Amino acid sequence: MSAPQGQFTGPQPSATAIFYRNIRWLRFVDRFGRKGSAAMDYLGGLAELAWETIRACVSRPFYASEVMTQLDEIGVKSLSITGITAFSTGMVLALQTAYALAAFGGKMFVGRVVALSLLRELGPVLTALMVGGRVGSGITAELGSMKVTEQVDALRSMAISPVRRLVVPRVLATVLMLPVLTALADVLGILGGLLIAVVELQMTAQDYLTSIWNQLAISDIMSGLSKTFFFGFEIAVIGCFNGMRVEGGASAVGVATTRTVVLASICVLVSDFFLTKLFLAL
Amino acid sequence: MAAFDPNIPLGARPAPPRETIVEFENVTKRYSGKEILAGVNLQIRRGEILCVLGPSGTGKSVTLRHINGLTHPDEGDVRVFGESVVGLSEEELSPIRRRLAMLFQGGALFDSMTVEENVAFPLQEHTTKSPREIAETVAEKLSMVGLPGTQRKMPSELSGGMRKRVALARSIALEPEIILYDEPTTGLDPLTSEKIGHLIVDINKRIRTTSVVVTHDIVMARTVSDRLAFLHQGRFQFIGTFSEASRGGHPVLMEYFRSMGFPCGTGLVQTVKDL
Repeated sequence: MSAPQGQFTGPQPSATAIFYRNIRWLRFVDRFGRKGSAAMDYLGGLAELAWETIRACVSRPFYASEVMTQLDEIGVKSLSITGITAFSTGMVLALQTAYALAAFGGKMFVGRVVALSLLRELGPVLTALMVGGRVGSGITAELGSMKVTEQVDALRSMAISPVRRLVVPRVLATVLMLPVLTALADVLGILGGLLIAVVELQMTAQDYLTSIWNQLAISDIMSGLSKTFFFGFEIAVIGCFNGMRVEGGASAVGVATTRTVVLASICVLVSDFFLTKLFLAL
Repeated sequence: MAAFDPNIPLGARPAPPRETIVEFENVTKRYSGKEILAGVNLQIRRGEILCVLGPSGTGKSVTLRHINGLTHPDEGDVRVFGESVVGLSEEELSPIRRRLAMLFQGGALFDSMTVEENVAFPLQEHTTKSPREIAETVAEKLSMVGLPGTQRKMPSELSGGMRKRVALARSIALEPEIILYDEPTTGLDPLTSEKIGHLIVDINKRIRTTSVVVTHDIVMARTVSDRLAFLHQGRFQFIGTFSEASRGGHPVLMEYFRSMGFPCGTGLVQTVKDL
């Protein structure tokens, strides 16, 4: 329905027109409010799970063998993708830096730029994004299908906490493995840069490595690595939360998996800014 | 399988004792504004097999999930072993849940574990038994459900009926006081359904448990139930024995019986074999 059409009645819109215009406004406000409250519910649930997980991490019972399984599943099996990502990023960085610095004769800075960008930013963030994609989605898919086949309810009905049994091992494994994966990624990335420096830029390996070694501070390494603990926690908790709240069937699992990848990536990138700010201030 | 003889008329079984073990009091539950349970009252007695009958979507499973606290009511009270389970946290529910077991519709076996690990799971979690004792108990429970020697199989290798029987073995591993069955025969062929029905009666007698069976399978209800409760429009419209029901319990129940091809209201009580 629309406002009545008719002859021109002056600058004042008719009462009916105002009424409908307001309705449209109210609908907008209503929809906005609904979305907002759903988002709040979601964030509240996420925070609640995060808190429960932390509490369950420091109290009994504790499923050590589950943690070991997940360390393998989450850590060891992610080695190849994070390694390849870091290695090629290191190579690209070396190429681009050499190209950008060539005009200033700054070839000797290539090693330093590659190492600093990798250690401080690209190593942690790229590894977290890759792990977020592989591990986060995997966790959601697994827990989501357990949820729809009532396996999560089965655990609860047997007086076993799904948070302790399913969430804690996955969160712990991710938090422990992400720094390890990042450290390896840093090394591989620097080696990638080395390959380019030697093959393309006619530098010696020694020049490249000493330029890194001489300029590197321990804080460069630590600020990068300490971020990854937070990233790991975010990825795993988001993955678990989205899995545990799946309702319905297989399509709902698919939707939840996508949501995990998107949300985990955004969280990693946004929190990276704040963590960087924090570590620079310390 | 032993002990169960379908030729013995149901009335010949000894009457169960009268102690109330589970009690629903004016339980109301709404899902997105729709009232699924509208003030349900029900008393379940120790040792009996109670079948909850009703068309799909009437809240039978929801009723069942109230007993072990998987779902909490919006209003009313649910008491299990004389203790209210409403509003308890997961941790507070733990001691009650250990005395209960639930058989889920699809079995809900952990698909990352073998049959043996599945059945052993509650034993490992809640007892201090040695691995050997656990293995013995697992073997015993598996042969009780007629699946001896399947320990090494994965759930994905089993048929639907076998999966439910393994799940049943897992449910009885701790010899619970109450077993909740959620649609134990849905999706199974009549022969397997009958086998499951016999198992329910057999287990009820052997480990002296109370059984609550949610089903829309009338043949099954007739085979196993001491009493049945008919859920319709959010309330129990009829609670009583099967013969009372078929003699004319409630008009909607009659209609339901007839729609399932079950002659009733004539005073004629048939045996399972005639069906």
